[in-house]
Amino acid sequence: AAETMAAVKRAYLAVYNWAVFFGWAQVLYFAVDALLRSGHEGVYAAVERPLQLAQTAAVLEILHGLVGLVRSPVSATLPQIGSRLFVTWGILWSFPETRTHILVSSLVISWSITEIIRYSFFGTKELFGSAPSSLLWLRYSSFLVMYPTGISSEVGLIYIALQFIKASEKYCIRMPNKWNYSFDYFYASILVLLVYVPGSPHMYTYMLGQRKKKIKSMFLFGTSCV
Amino acid sequence: MKVSVVSRSGREVVKGGIELKDSAKVADLQEAIHAKTKKYYPARQRLTLPAQPGKSGKPVVLSQKASLSEYCEKGSGSLTVVFKDLGPQVYYSTLFFWEYVGPLIIYPIFYYLPVYKYFGYEGERVIHPVQTYAMYYFCFHYFKRIMETFFVHRFSHATSPVSNVFRNCAYYWTFGAYIAYYCNHPLYTPVSDLQMKIGFGIGVVCQIANFYCHILLRNLRSPTGSGGYQIPRGFLFNIVTCANYTTEIYQWLGFNIATQTVAGYVFLAVAAAIMTNWALGKHSRLRKLFDGKDGQPKYPRRWVILPPFL
Repeated sequence: AAETMAAVKRAYLAVYNWAVFFGWAQVLYFAVDALLRSGHEGVYAAVERPLQLAQTAAVLEILHGLVGLVRSPVSATLPQIGSRLFVTWGILWSFPETRTHILVSSLVISWSITEIIRYSFFGTKELFGSAPSSLLWLRYSSFLVMYPTGISSEVGLIYIALQFIKASEKYCIRMPNKWNYSFDYFYASILVLLVYVPGSPHMYTYMLGQRKKKIKSMFLFGTSCV
Repeated sequence: MKVSVVSRSGREVVKGGIELKDSAKVADLQEAIHAKTKKYYPARQRLTLPAQPGKSGKPVVLSQKASLSEYCEKGSGSLTVVFKDLGPQVYYSTLFFWEYVGPLIIYPIFYYLPVYKYFGYEGERVIHPVQTYAMYYFCFHYFKRIMETFFVHRFSHATSPVSNVFRNCAYYWTFGAYIAYYCNHPLYTPVSDLQMKIGFGIGVVCQIANFYCHILLRNLRSPTGSGGYQIPRGFLFNIVTCANYTTEIYQWLGFNIATQTVAGYVFLAVAAAIMTNWALGKHSRLRKLFDGKDGQPKYPRRWVILPPFL
């Protein structure tokens, strides 16, 4: 019974990872296609649906971490997924004025490259038990460039959106009300920007640590499969 | 006997080890380590026995009052202890004081001083009676906590890492300001008079009950702090292990019923989650210790923290 459980686990994770991989592959394809055909202003329109689908599916990964299906600590996955969902839904979807900015292209390309590598790495591991060292290397090296480009795009887009957030009063709750509560989306977004200040080095150094561990064991065990 | 003191990576912390009388206690070893290393006062030291190869589980922590000979390898006159620096420490009483003094000062600032004008609310502010009572209630609560810290609580391990001061103060002070902001807001909407009275009524009763729980807990420990764990008894402890947390949670519930702010309820939820975490640990420790074997009484069946839920 424990063995069927493990097999079901693997099958589920294999299907999950490859499905989301396919979503991100679509995003990258449509993005590059739109860039070449019509320029950066048309990128968002081309990728909107697959982007929203693939990014929102990642919420499942928090669940996976919580129930112990995967080893990744919730402290690393939650900020990443949180910021992605905030930018995808809270900025790009909510404030169309941001969609034609060139940072959308850098954002979408950084995200999709990272995710294509990541999901194919985990998908291969689940399906075959291990992944080729080339994929391992890609997985733990691409972030060195993609994190800075992706994070800068996120921060840039949030910053650009601020003026539209303030003007629109969207998602704001004002007093008086019987629950004595207020919410100001403008200040909340500024707070999110501030969280990037300690948050980005935390994520980057976490991945650097992972890189050291994984690439070291790749050499130590001398196999091409990990 | 000769005690060798090593770090977790195997490096000698005290070169050449330490010579002590065979009858020496762990506390004597700690004094000696402090004398040799100068900066590691006893409260900073965490001494454990080296992990046995093949055996897993938590390392054995040396108890301050025990004799060193209890930990010696059988027959030999020597002992190796593993040293960990816990970092600079503060007394729990210091930590609690700084945590609690924040809200005590911050809340009245929002009540008395014209801070809302800096948030864009000009003009006169009408203060509802419930807002005044809430201020007295909130401040009394933290004043009570400070008094209990210095006069009621008996602490087991007397210190906590300095970093906890920043973390805990951030928690209490931020939530204090968050609640104070809404409770004293110029556009605050009070609840009905009856609801306010019910809320504060529950709150006052629970604070008194909470104080009594603290007295009972204090009496479980002897003045020299030499007691280990004891089964709490009397009053609400007969039905719930962490009655002190129970009364604390219900006390905040009373405050929130009277003041009705989302901020207050968020704080209640977070505080309850933290206390529930502690309660689960305490309850399971007590049940493990008092298992009914070897002359130990069996821990009675009780709620953990919040009847009828947990």
